[in-house]
Amino acid sequence: MKIFELMAVFFRVGVLGETAYRANFYIQIFETGLNLATALAAVAVVFSQTDSLGGWQPFELTALIGIYFMVLGGINLVVAPSLQRFMEHIVTGNLDYTLTKPADAQLLVSIAEFRVFRLVDVVLGAGVLGTSLTVHAVEVGWLVVAQFTAAILAGAVIVYCFWLILATMAFWFVRVENILQIFWSMYTAGRWPIGIYPKWLRWMLTLVVPVAFAVTVPAEAVSGRLDGDALVGAAALATALALFSRWFWRKGLAHYSGASA
Amino acid sequence: MTNAVEPVVVLEGLTKSYVVPVREAGLKAALGSLIRRRTRTVEAVKGVSFAIAPGEVVGFLGPNGAGKTTTLKMLSGLLHPTSGAARVLGFEPWLRQREYLSRMTLVMGQRNQLMWDIPVIDSFDRNRVIYRLSREEYRARLDDLTGLLDLGELLNKPVRNLSLGERMKCEIAAALLHRPQILFLDEPTLGLDVTMQRRLRTFIADYNRHTGATVLLTSHYMADVEALCPRVIVIHHGEILFDGALSKLIGEFAAYKTLIVDSDGGRDLSSYGEVVSRDGGRTTLRISKADTARVTAQILTDVSVRDLSVIDPPIDEVIDRVFSEVNP
Repeated sequence: MKIFELMAVFFRVGVLGETAYRANFYIQIFETGLNLATALAAVAVVFSQTDSLGGWQPFELTALIGIYFMVLGGINLVVAPSLQRFMEHIVTGNLDYTLTKPADAQLLVSIAEFRVFRLVDVVLGAGVLGTSLTVHAVEVGWLVVAQFTAAILAGAVIVYCFWLILATMAFWFVRVENILQIFWSMYTAGRWPIGIYPKWLRWMLTLVVPVAFAVTVPAEAVSGRLDGDALVGAAALATALALFSRWFWRKGLAHYSGASA
Repeated sequence: MTNAVEPVVVLEGLTKSYVVPVREAGLKAALGSLIRRRTRTVEAVKGVSFAIAPGEVVGFLGPNGAGKTTTLKMLSGLLHPTSGAARVLGFEPWLRQREYLSRMTLVMGQRNQLMWDIPVIDSFDRNRVIYRLSREEYRARLDDLTGLLDLGELLNKPVRNLSLGERMKCEIAAALLHRPQILFLDEPTLGLDVTMQRRLRTFIADYNRHTGATVLLTSHYMADVEALCPRVIVIHHGEILFDGALSKLIGEFAAYKTLIVDSDGGRDLSSYGEVVSRDGGRTTLRISKADTARVTAQILTDVSVRDLSVIDPPIDEVIDRVFSEVNP
């Protein structure tokens, strides 16, 4: 299909671009390793004081950290760099070239840049997730696999739409990089299950910045504690956001072509 | 020339106005603008109409801010007009239909679409997928362009290692891989050295001849225009001042001619007109156009002339004059 061919060619370009600076690859491994170690150490510290945190067992928390890194890697692999590039292109006017191409502009903008070294996050995160489950000899049934897959897909869609909506604001305000800082600072909170936070923060992490759906819900699925409603909610939110972000994008594009100099 | 065939580009009263924020100098004004933005409307293009026949190469001239780029952006589908109509290849550009976008191209001399860190050929490959070219079509066109623009050496180098001229050649090739039928070229030779400018001019002329593509080109280099464009459209303050043959523009707006007289002994000719320069027996005179015939005849009778030539002033000066006449 056309979309996949386009993604493949952009991915290839990403590999070529990144491998031009191969020191970055080792730096990336080092950075991810360090972050993972810190996160796991924090879990160890917590569980040296208590047996369970908000009802979560140690291996469930390490699984959550694995998922946290997988999702982080996914965002940094393509969503964040592409949309950041898009916002730069609004400032410089280079977006014009994208808009003269006979392909969907939202698609082109969203896959414009692959930072393939960020796959290190995804791979190491998956390793931590796998290890947590194996070490604790967790039986992973097909239902759990299905739930996890559905949850992570919904989470991915929600995070992407969230980024797209923020980035689309650049059509009106031009410089909106600051908004994205909000995302990053809130995302860090996703290293812990959001259930442990006070109520107001839980709401923020669910509805304002969708960390809950990106990390906690998939982790709940893995540990078999996910209730059906949360999954349905995630799917509903993903659909709604996909439709809304598309509509909003089109509005932004119409504004751009109506006003830009 | 536009009567015989259906034109490919038609503009009727095309108008574009922008609402731009007004900011006065100073901190107070800057803080004030956070609360309330004052705006004003700028009319960049005011009711522009013209038509271009298939295969024409038209020069679109005007000083900075005249509305050239805005017009090109409307024609390439980037901007919606405020009012008026335009059709290019039968499409309304700003609907940005795929069929239209895959048949036109826009090159902006001051921007680049090639990716910085990767070899040129890989940027081309990306365009192959975006424009849905078959591998055979792509191969054939790439070979053509490689030959015409002499890209062989450059294709496998990352863009960041290319000189400006080399990069521009590659930019143009990238913009032409899908063999567009209409080319909008906005300052394609900007910043290039004379040799490279000439190279690109020759290429554009060849491309036009071979493919029959229509070209609308803006340039600040009059040499580009003289070499490429039999017809020019002059725009100023968003309005069209002149639309016709380049030679007619010179005839209409050049107020004087230059007379170069080679005479024995290098006589003082200042009584015949303004002496621009004198070099031995060679005198350069500036004479108002109306007087040219009379003064030339006079000099030929009065002075023993070895050689005499009458030339039009350089096109730059004529254009300059067009603008200053309208906006003294």
